[in-house]
Amino acid sequence: MPEHAEHAIEVGGARIHYLKGGQGKPLVALHGAEGSLGWRQYHEQLAESFTVYAPTCPGFGQSERPPWLESFTDLARFSLWLLDALELPQVTLAGHFIGGWLAAEMAVMSPRTFDRLILIDAAGIQPRDGEIADIFLHGQEGARQLTYFDTQQVAEYAELFQRKPSKEERDIHTRNQETLVRYCWKPYMFSPSLPGLLGRVQLPTLIIWGQDDRIVPLECSALYQRALPNARVAIIPHCGHCPPLEKPTECVRLIQNFLTPGALE
Amino acid sequence: MFLMRFTERAYVDYSEEDVRQSFRSAVRLTFPNAHFNPSLGADLYNTYLDEYEYAEAVGFDGLMLNEHHNTPTCMGAAMNLEAAILARTTKRAKIVLLGNPLPIFDNPLRLAEELAEIDMISRGRLVSGFVRGTGIESWATNTNPVYNRERFEEAHDLIIKTWTTPGPWRWEGKHYQFRVVNPFERPLQQPHPPIWIPGIGSPETLVWCAQHHYPYIYLETDPQVTLDLTAIYTEAARQVGYEPGPQNFGYLVRVHVQDTDEKAYEVGKGFLIGNAGVGRVPLPGDFMAPPGYNSREGARRIVDQYRRYALRPDPLYGGVDSAGWEKVVDSNRVIVGNPDTVVRKLREVLSVVRPGILGVWTNDGTIGHEDTMRCLSLMEHDVLPAVREMGTELGLPGPFEHAP
Repeated sequence: MPEHAEHAIEVGGARIHYLKGGQGKPLVALHGAEGSLGWRQYHEQLAESFTVYAPTCPGFGQSERPPWLESFTDLARFSLWLLDALELPQVTLAGHFIGGWLAAEMAVMSPRTFDRLILIDAAGIQPRDGEIADIFLHGQEGARQLTYFDTQQVAEYAELFQRKPSKEERDIHTRNQETLVRYCWKPYMFSPSLPGLLGRVQLPTLIIWGQDDRIVPLECSALYQRALPNARVAIIPHCGHCPPLEKPTECVRLIQNFLTPGALE
Repeated sequence: MFLMRFTERAYVDYSEEDVRQSFRSAVRLTFPNAHFNPSLGADLYNTYLDEYEYAEAVGFDGLMLNEHHNTPTCMGAAMNLEAAILARTTKRAKIVLLGNPLPIFDNPLRLAEELAEIDMISRGRLVSGFVRGTGIESWATNTNPVYNRERFEEAHDLIIKTWTTPGPWRWEGKHYQFRVVNPFERPLQQPHPPIWIPGIGSPETLVWCAQHHYPYIYLETDPQVTLDLTAIYTEAARQVGYEPGPQNFGYLVRVHVQDTDEKAYEVGKGFLIGNAGVGRVPLPGDFMAPPGYNSREGARRIVDQYRRYALRPDPLYGGVDSAGWEKVVDSNRVIVGNPDTVVRKLREVLSVVRPGILGVWTNDGTIGHEDTMRCLSLMEHDVLPAVREMGTELGLPGPFEHAP
């Protein structure tokens, strides 16, 4: 079993925490709206083939937020700075939900930093027909109910969400919520200019989507594919908004196939 | 003692079941406006304005209005319009706005202009209160709650400077930027209308008020909690070099008078249908305080303050199901009775809280127009003069008698 450990690095005057584990080519995995949920099964599976870096974005968890960092655009700029500090050139970048949106913004800003891009049920593009569900308005419980197709198939659900959180975990949850609101309140979970700017990103891109995503509509996978010159879409059936937790094995297999040399047509 | 009359101007033609059926069973924010009947709304707005005019006639010093959005509990979604009408149709009473929710305004200069107009039309009777607004106001206007306090303070600073510093000048703030600040119409009162701040006790707001010498109006807070909150204000005032007195504090309480205790007790139950009453279906906490709306320290202190006095369930906001109307009345969280009873109970409250401003919330919920007018009529001779005397006897000067 690949080992992993927590590290911290100073970037722009802020101490940023990240998990690192595995071996092989570096792969950066950006977390979703709930912040870092720790080293999960999908990290473990990815770490069989890659050196996985899972940073906690500034303002989430234990990672500090520089007081000037208040917008999603600045979060993307800062995250590129983090990769500089980690000395990770030509890295594969993956992200789920807001992490996918963040990955897309980073790729737009600095496409040559990356060799592959993986967007999983990513926010960032405004749907044409539906809407990105307002997870703030639904509240924590309501948003969780929308997130999964079937919580029974989320092996880590009880460990993550069904035990009484410690005071420290409650404080972190509050901080995560505040940070999310700061970055994503308005416009809610999308950037109007992103589809236009994605034309710059020639990177081979894999778009993974849960077929039954009730947070970011499935149509957004097609909108991403249309905006990105070199992207393909993989849909995971019977899966909600969070394939890394709900279908980790399928999700990781898709990623491994995508990253295997010659796999991309 | 400054005596002001208040009602939330409730819309009440809906049921508890209607509330339960709304998104997250909320009476505010998501309660469908299909339940609103504009014909009834037209009647209610006019009735409520009539009542305010009568409140001036019976001797109130101030007519207090408030503003909320997306809710049947308060029809004052555009409070300044009601204020402008009363500025013209009344002659003596102060128009007390508690208050304009500053963070939700993207153009505070427009607000400065509206308030200046109200002040001039009323010939200098405006009291311009400012609030952060509940979280509902942030949701309803899509204003980022994380910046609520920053926007409140910056909008306040911009408005005060607009009223006091000859233009044109430029404002380049964090949340507001204006090339040419130079609204031509300025308020009649100089240097600007009085500023009062209502609330339920955010410690940061109490300290900020003390630093600005602004009276703080407690909105139905538990009397014992109120004393703790006053200590926060007092300490902050001492740090900037003055000793606050009753003129620095106001207290809002529901008070309903009828000819007999029995009738007041029955009619007063109408208070519980509306703000507190349909609150029997509790609002989602994150509607009232979305993430980031309160500082973590502020939220902790508020919860601690209330826990100390075991106010869960609060006799008022727990509603009749958890506490019972009798307990609400016994604990003076709502004061009902004949004039003698009401005066006696008000003495109990005023002796403890010691405000120089008393907000008298005469009616709400299902308390009808006829009962409201009788309540106001009885107050004219049998309550207000006695409370004024009480204010003098207890040494409770208002802010127009003693500068805060």
